[in-house]
Amino acid sequence: MSRIPPGCRAIEPDLVAIAVGEGSAAAAVAVVGHLEQCVPCRETFERYRAVEALVAELRRVPGPDPMAARAELESRLVDLRRRRLAVGVFASPLGPVLLARSEEGVVAVEYLQAPTLASSRLARATGAELVEDRATTEGLFADLLDYLEGRRTRLDWPLDLRRVRGEFHRRVLQAAAALPYGAVTSYAGLAARVGVPQAPRAVAQALRHNPLPIVIPCHRVVGSDGDLTGYAGDRLDLKRRLLGVEGVPIEGGRRRPAVERRAMYVRPFEDSEYCLPTCESVGRRPLRELVLFGSRRAAEAAGLAPCRTCRPDLHPLRP
Amino acid sequence: MVRAEDGFEAVVAAHHAEIHRYLARVTGRASDADDLSQETFLRAFRAHGTLSPDANVRAWLFAIATNVYRNHLRSESRRRRAYTAAAEQPAGAPDRPDGTALVRETAARLDRIVAGLPLRQRLAFTLRKVHDLDYETIGTSLACSAETARAHVFQAVRKIRRALDEARPAGREASR
Repeated sequence: MSRIPPGCRAIEPDLVAIAVGEGSAAAAVAVVGHLEQCVPCRETFERYRAVEALVAELRRVPGPDPMAARAELESRLVDLRRRRLAVGVFASPLGPVLLARSEEGVVAVEYLQAPTLASSRLARATGAELVEDRATTEGLFADLLDYLEGRRTRLDWPLDLRRVRGEFHRRVLQAAAALPYGAVTSYAGLAARVGVPQAPRAVAQALRHNPLPIVIPCHRVVGSDGDLTGYAGDRLDLKRRLLGVEGVPIEGGRRRPAVERRAMYVRPFEDSEYCLPTCESVGRRPLRELVLFGSRRAAEAAGLAPCRTCRPDLHPLRP
Repeated sequence: MVRAEDGFEAVVAAHHAEIHRYLARVTGRASDADDLSQETFLRAFRAHGTLSPDANVRAWLFAIATNVYRNHLRSESRRRRAYTAAAEQPAGAPDRPDGTALVRETAARLDRIVAGLPLRQRLAFTLRKVHDLDYETIGTSLACSAETARAHVFQAVRKIRRALDEARPAGREASR
């Protein structure tokens, strides 16, 4: 290896920088000055310039065609976007809840054991990719709070029913969604509505898998004696509270709560009038043939007129 | 819904070809560029919502792509260690069966020299000289300072010059 003079050694970093087009003006002056008197460095400089020329050529070489890769990427993105749900975990009066929505609409309302995403069943479900996004979900939560505090009677959100399991469940949930605010019926009653009067248990199962409790008001469906069976596992307290918000009277204490049938207005399915529970034509009919209303206001908000025989408008159950 | 997502199509449209080309260059294989560019953009998609509106998206994508590539190298070398067949492959030399098909003959020579550089120098050189990224951005991609990134590029340039010298008929300055 030849010995390199100290002057050449000192100028080398600037020489490289200038050759690749990155040095300062001062460095350029120094390098030009040095090159004028140093032939070996001039040759070295020229070879660096040759590297640059080769680099320029390398840049002109086109890469492999990316279009097939891009098309595949775009189809993966479509799929990913579909599976992606914006979720928020909120402290509600009913305990921690998770709200999830897709681009199409609200996908899930879930009661949580703990105020964390990790405690959610949805987080463990396959096929969903959850992204915590309070900005997207907090408007929903504000609506939910209004509902739970009685300031609104409907959650008319766009819904995405992707988590509903099959056609039968969909029909049951649609029928439940048609139950008016402040009204209840029985599992058998709902079974009759969806055309399977012999299968109230299947109806109860479908409601048990309601991915959108509160929004699809499965809490308005009770046992044939009016008892509040089965809600979110054994959270009868939640069912009681939701019905309470709607003005449905509950009796029977914490052990065995039930709607207080004799304190509710009555309407046979299909009828356009509501009656007192003592009205002759309807008072003795089984719950499966009826819808019960907690208040006149709820009945009238559902578009019903007072019965012209028993006159609930003249003899209200409660002032 | 998740804001800034509509923007992601625009991100793909603007940068996919370039990232694909970068990965083709560093891997030397079109098929690896396909796979790794897809992985790069899927990762970017997941993180896109957290990106600040004034972020330099291009620099950010190069950083992700570089990361994806380095992870790929690690898993490649794990695979190689697992199979004794890897003995055919000289250690450190990248696997480039279709690499030369990507470049014309003159550039191919430079390409082969670059492929033999140490990883960081090779990446810094490619990011700087082929893709024109600034040193700050290259530093972010390689998890080092801008100064160090610059030093990597200059080391690469020196080595390339020397390697080209060695290919020439021996001259007075060949050892300098």
